[in-house]
Amino acid sequence: MALLEVNDLRVSFDTAAGRILALNGVSFSLNRGEVLALLGESGSGKSVTASAIMDLVPNPPGAIDHGSIRFDGSELLQLPRQERRDLCGDRIALIFQDALAALNPVYPVGWQIAEMFRIHGRTVQGGVEKAVIDLLTAIGIPDPERRAKQYPHEFSGGMRQRIMIAMAVALEPDVIIADEPTTALDVTIQAQVVDLLNAIRKRSDAGMIFITHDLGVVAELADRVAVMYAGRIVETASVFELFDDARHPYSVGLLASQPRMDTDEDELVPIPGSAPNPAALPSGCAFRTRCPRAEKLCAEVVPHLETVGPGRQVACHFPVSPA
Amino acid sequence: MTEPLLKVQNLSRHFGGTSTPVRAVDDVSFEIARGETLGLVGESGCGKTSLVRTLLKLGPATGGSALIDGVDITRSGGRQLHELRRRMQVVFQDPYQSLNPRMRVDRLISEPWALHPGTVPKSLWRAETVKLLESVGLRAEHAERYPSEFSGGQRQRLGIARALALNPTLLVCDEPVSALDVSVQAQVVNLLSRLRRERNLAMLFVAHDLAVVRHISDRVMVMYLGKIIETGPKHSIFSAPAHPYTQALLSAVPTPDPRLRGKRKRIVLQGDLPSPVNPPSGCRFRTRCWKATSICAEQEPALTARTSAHGLLTACHHAEADPAVAGE
Repeated sequence: MALLEVNDLRVSFDTAAGRILALNGVSFSLNRGEVLALLGESGSGKSVTASAIMDLVPNPPGAIDHGSIRFDGSELLQLPRQERRDLCGDRIALIFQDALAALNPVYPVGWQIAEMFRIHGRTVQGGVEKAVIDLLTAIGIPDPERRAKQYPHEFSGGMRQRIMIAMAVALEPDVIIADEPTTALDVTIQAQVVDLLNAIRKRSDAGMIFITHDLGVVAELADRVAVMYAGRIVETASVFELFDDARHPYSVGLLASQPRMDTDEDELVPIPGSAPNPAALPSGCAFRTRCPRAEKLCAEVVPHLETVGPGRQVACHFPVSPA
Repeated sequence: MTEPLLKVQNLSRHFGGTSTPVRAVDDVSFEIARGETLGLVGESGCGKTSLVRTLLKLGPATGGSALIDGVDITRSGGRQLHELRRRMQVVFQDPYQSLNPRMRVDRLISEPWALHPGTVPKSLWRAETVKLLESVGLRAEHAERYPSEFSGGQRQRLGIARALALNPTLLVCDEPVSALDVSVQAQVVNLLSRLRRERNLAMLFVAHDLAVVRHISDRVMVMYLGKIIETGPKHSIFSAPAHPYTQALLSAVPTPDPRLRGKRKRIVLQGDLPSPVNPPSGCRFRTRCWKATSICAEQEPALTARTSAHGLLTACHHAEADPAVAGE
């Protein structure tokens, strides 16, 4: 059985432009020890998916309208609020994109890491203080005894992101959700953080959901990929299948639009147009207005995720043929 | 050899007091030829933006000169600067903040002509605005809309149209695609490539995305802590980088190919960027460099040809190509 199973999740938000569907039937599963990348562009629903799992959808204006999130056999959406809150942070942890905004500026970082143990009532052998120092050492912060007493502003962006990671893994969660943890970082620092996440996944048996728009990071880290577009998952595949043999025209377009480091291309191949306004999604398939393969049917019928191979699903009436 | 369009010599930009200034740009020299695209890469805090701002005279230079067509930008003011700015225009990173939300598109685009009387007569503004909009892939009817009615990619096209209104010879692009989604980014990169061909535009293209820089540039310049540490034709930089920092930078770029995972040599730099207030003596990279020896602390390495790579200049005492980290 999958560790985490999301089924037909629908989330909407009330906005000035009317009620918009941020998630329009999202389904995926995550196994132990697996890294699943949620790949998509801004507004595709990646972060809302993370918020829904973590019970962080602001209500109002947002609401989970439909669907289920099963974690380790229990239905999260039906748990009493307190039980759910206890689970989050303890067994399911979130690494935020913006570490500076996620850390409290008026408390030392060591105190904030220790808070994880206090809030969840964990006692640790050797004391919380030692556990904090061990965590800081594990994430490669030099001079951890001194650094634990310092405040977030005294750390560089890369170090703050590593502190976020330390907080997330402090209680050895079963699921780690990383929401664009390297997007704000420079490329050499990004490499350090990706290496750290890779080391953590090797050490623990946790499943990881890695949210990103960066195909390079996906290739470095993910086992499986779920491609999102306009609040839906349009394709799921193993990382190799996606890069060798993408089937959804959007995935194909995304891969083709990236400049390569190893070949000279005369012109890039962009996807025409831009992402649709979530308040006025096209009828049928939301991608059809930008899709080179779109036909009449695409405007009439929403394509659902169909299994096309072991672990492979595509939501398209006219998928690209296998390579 | 023909005179370069832009000739920058020993340019510096320091901030703060004279006793302990922040050396954001420190003694930088380079040239851009007519119609050439020079890519500028480096990480946050390396001085890219300070360099761009100094070149555009959005801030004063502390020392050195920057000649465009032989006229020193750093010493220009008043009418002369106004005139110079016709020849060098800028495309900013954030298309949401760089366009006045209360100006209609036709005014946004024709404003440069109002500020530079004599460039385009008022009777032609309407026709020229439409031409510009079409050249950046927008339509005539867009002239009557406001910036808020456009997507990020379209706004960046508007920014480019406005920058081209005065027919500049140099276009400075400061992270022009970083704020855009991947699928849209390629549209804007293609647009800039086409415009530079059609108009023989020279470009200074600043970006942190190395694959984009490699795609669009003729030559590339790498900055670290206010200094140019390596520069050369793009194929020399990407296939035979000789500076350890350039090598680390290239090796850190994730490759969009899962089969190469763990197979490429990855140089993970230790530590963070030192403070530009008190940069290390000698070579500024030495505190994070695995090749550093005593000479690196004593002598600042000059930017000269040190390897057989065509046109490559490297500021490192231990410059040497490492085939295992070539990006190409």
